Amino acid sequence: MSGAEPAILVRGLGVRYNLTLTRRTTLKSTLARLGRRSGAPGARYFWALKNLDLTVQHGEIVGLIGPNGAGKSTLLLALAGILEPSTGSIVVDGRVSTLLTLGAGFDADLTGIENIRLAGAFLGIDGKKLEALTPGIIAFADIGDFIDAQVKTYSLGMKARLGFSIATSIAPDILLLDEVLGTGDQEFRAKSQLRIRELMTQAKAIVMVTHDLTYVTEFCNRALLLEQGRLVYDGAPDDTVALYRERVTKKTLLAAGTSGRFEGATP
Amino acid sequence: MPAGPATARRRPFGTLRQGIRDLTSRGRLIRYLVAADLKRSHADTIVGRAWWILDPLLQMIIYWILFTLIFQRTTPDFPLFLFSAILPWKWLASTLGDASTSISSRVAIVRQVQFPKLVLPAASVGAGINGFGFGLIALAFFLVPYHDRVSPWILTLPLIAAVQVVFIFALAIGISALNAFYRDVGNLLGHALRLWFYLSPALYSLESLPPGWVRTILSLNPMAPILDSYRRIIWGTDEVPHGVAPDFAALGIVLVVSLLLSVLVIVGFKRAEPAFARIL
Repeated sequence: MSGAEPAILVRGLGVRYNLTLTRRTTLKSTLARLGRRSGAPGARYFWALKNLDLTVQHGEIVGLIGPNGAGKSTLLLALAGILEPSTGSIVVDGRVSTLLTLGAGFDADLTGIENIRLAGAFLGIDGKKLEALTPGIIAFADIGDFIDAQVKTYSLGMKARLGFSIATSIAPDILLLDEVLGTGDQEFRAKSQLRIRELMTQAKAIVMVTHDLTYVTEFCNRALLLEQGRLVYDGAPDDTVALYRERVTKKTLLAAGTSGRFEGATP
Repeated sequence: MPAGPATARRRPFGTLRQGIRDLTSRGRLIRYLVAADLKRSHADTIVGRAWWILDPLLQMIIYWILFTLIFQRTTPDFPLFLFSAILPWKWLASTLGDASTSISSRVAIVRQVQFPKLVLPAASVGAGINGFGFGLIALAFFLVPYHDRVSPWILTLPLIAAVQVVFIFALAIGISALNAFYRDVGNLLGHALRLWFYLSPALYSLESLPPGWVRTILSLNPMAPILDSYRRIIWGTDEVPHGVAPDFAALGIVLVVSLLLSVLVIVGFKRAEPAFARIL
């Protein structure tokens, strides 16, 4: 068994959003609901993921594809421990680093360096260790003197570079990526690809969400197709991408047909 | 409250221990957040951090104008009488205001990184302590013209402040979580604080009220013994024109109540914590 522990072990995972408690919630609506005490509670929930099983081994690079709202990001959030499973269990072996939306958690009033420290503290990295990693993070981000400027002066690309550099420099055992590899200019793209390959060779598990299907076939050694919160297909990237393309085509043809514009639709 | 996750709930004692560990193990994060807050506040102003001292001074001057010129209050050394209570009140009010948005304003980080959310209101409490520290500098200047009123009892100020920290901590944690669920809390807070201020012995002392049920009810307010004690050690009493001993017994009760409240609030916060990423 030793050495064969999966990086990620998911059993019967379900994640349910409570639609009545969104950011628009006010005391009034809750009180009104409590006052009514009506039945049918099922109607107020939305299952973003349902009954999902998944085992990821160390060294695997798993691409998650599927239409918007399929539950891809929810699965990443659950793997990161940010969303608690409503049903089922998740066991993750090692330190998880999330790169969900690059740099969105930065404090705009702080400088790049200060944000590196803050992000490290949020991720729970030991102070001395982070201090040692900082030169490498700065070198990889390669944003010049901007590292000492407030993050509010950064371009989106610079924020993404710094965010990517932080997330991949802390030597995570498991890296979760959400639509982030396409950021930055050509040079940084090439650099980030190299960094990802480096992490791969260190037997790290990577789970990435992307709509860039060429990325999946190029980078991943396994791909999952999610639809409406369910795992539809799990296999080689080429097969999964082909299946997804086929289903998308069928759907668009169907949609075009029902709206009566099939004849005029461009191929 | 939202329906909790289907995972097994920990016992309250374990939850409490986890909450305390969240705070002790993330001291560095709390320090960074406090430092960031300090850096940000008044960063775009001309006099910068001097606002920390100017703010309570100006507020005190407004009340002084109102009460001595218009209401003709004859309390001796009235500015010091006011300042001794307004300073700790400002501490409470600004910390609670800060804490109310400490979680709800950090959607990005809450939704992207797994970390103990307790550090967010705790950082508000830390920033508030900083602000109060600056206020004490203002108080030191203020005491120069009123040096007749200074007595050794002023050295008990850290004790009163310690009780107040625990009280503020409990409220800050609770309000931060409630406002994450219900934004009404933040809207209500300003009004609630204003009412609470007028019901607290800041602009007057409880002794000046006629004995009766109103005075009895007002004295149940935890801020009453806190403000009264500050005033006793800084300004004195109606009979004694210099600092006297604080009301140790009443402070002790407030401390015990605040500690119990903190325990309840931490357990409640930890229970609600998994829902934050879902509802923000």
